Amino acid sequence: MKRSGPLFTLFAGLVLALFMLSVNATTGTGSSSYSDDSSGTSEPTAPPTASTPGERPDPSRTATPTPTKKPPADGRYTGRTDDDSASIAITLSDGKAVAYFCDGRATESWLKGDVEDDGSMRLTGKNGAKLDGRLTDDGSKVRGTVDIRKKSWAFTAPKAKKPSGVYRATTEVRGEKVDGGWIVQPDGSQVGILSRDGEPAQAPRLDPATGTVVLDDGGRLTARPVVP
Amino acid sequence: MSVDPNAPTQGGFPVPPHAGGPRRPHPARFLVPALVAAAVAVGLGAYGKVHDPEGTAFNLAGFSSTSAVKSWLGTTALGFALLQVVSALMVYGRLPGPSWSAALHRWSGRIAFLVAVPVAVHCLYALGYQTYSTRVLWHSFLGCFFFGAFSAKMLLLRSERLPGWLLPVVGGLVFAVLTVVWLTSALWFFRTFGVTT
Repeated sequence: MKRSGPLFTLFAGLVLALFMLSVNATTGTGSSSYSDDSSGTSEPTAPPTASTPGERPDPSRTATPTPTKKPPADGRYTGRTDDDSASIAITLSDGKAVAYFCDGRATESWLKGDVEDDGSMRLTGKNGAKLDGRLTDDGSKVRGTVDIRKKSWAFTAPKAKKPSGVYRATTEVRGEKVDGGWIVQPDGSQVGILSRDGEPAQAPRLDPATGTVVLDDGGRLTARPVVP
Repeated sequence: MSVDPNAPTQGGFPVPPHAGGPRRPHPARFLVPALVAAAVAVGLGAYGKVHDPEGTAFNLAGFSSTSAVKSWLGTTALGFALLQVVSALMVYGRLPGPSWSAALHRWSGRIAFLVAVPVAVHCLYALGYQTYSTRVLWHSFLGCFFFGAFSAKMLLLRSERLPGWLLPVVGGLVFAVLTVVWLTSALWFFRTFGVTT
């Protein structure tokens, strides 16, 4: 007389775990740990429409690398402000965008919002930070402006590949809240700000391959690519 | 998992169920659950360590973040785990309990386990095995340990003639580990971000 109930229990857990993994792997880019959006409009299914007046009306929107029905295509964009004073990185995923603006010293902002089907986006961040951007029709770059604390910058962010992009690490070290953001450019250069208890400072270097950051005091952080 | 702890090496006598018999049980009945537990715990940890954390995963509607979902699922699991302790005491006669306390124990345990599984999947898939702070280190380690210990508990249940102290000790260990896992995650989340959904 052997009880098989416990085996069924374990088996059910295994099946559930595999099911969740497959859901994760197939949806891949669901909502993230960072998003606190509640818009519920994350499934834009309409095909790409022509762009607004004033932009190049380019009906052949086929240059995007992923020929999917969901516009705009997911991607990473990294670039700099036109005055070259700060970096900006945007990650698009599933009709949402998250952007990070960072001058590597004191000014940084995380912004997020939805991406319209025509590739335009209006992202918002803390303290009234705003980003108005627009994906070019061929999906090769995002152009726009970002407004933070009454200052405004124009920027261009071309499409980039891993390991370029935006990374974030949030943790606490000995009770101190540590929040770091990094932008890795395609040429390998990077900027980052690490705030300890809200005090921003230049961040130590991030190893883009592993996401490891070695702090001045020898501690380690692990930064992860940011997905909206 | 086809190894049968009660298989023929026993000696061939019919085994009376539930008897704390005088004969020494075959070591396989402890060894197999222990090995499975180790394999589960190390396997989960290795997966979390080796694969590249995705940083994102499937979220449930109505929750602000996957961390909130996980905190509430974890809290649910802990609630059922508390019920486990109470119902176990009933089964062992240490507390007055209804006749269905054994069924209560079985089903509360199943629910607690099944509620904990999605949390673990998300942790390992999206975040991975991390060691960047004491809290995170213990959470990662004990989270993997929990599923190993739980597997051992389930497999031990299939054996008969176990020493009487073994199941309560292993069950208590599973509960204690789950509690620490909860303290280092959900409680931390609620204290840091507030009790939000």
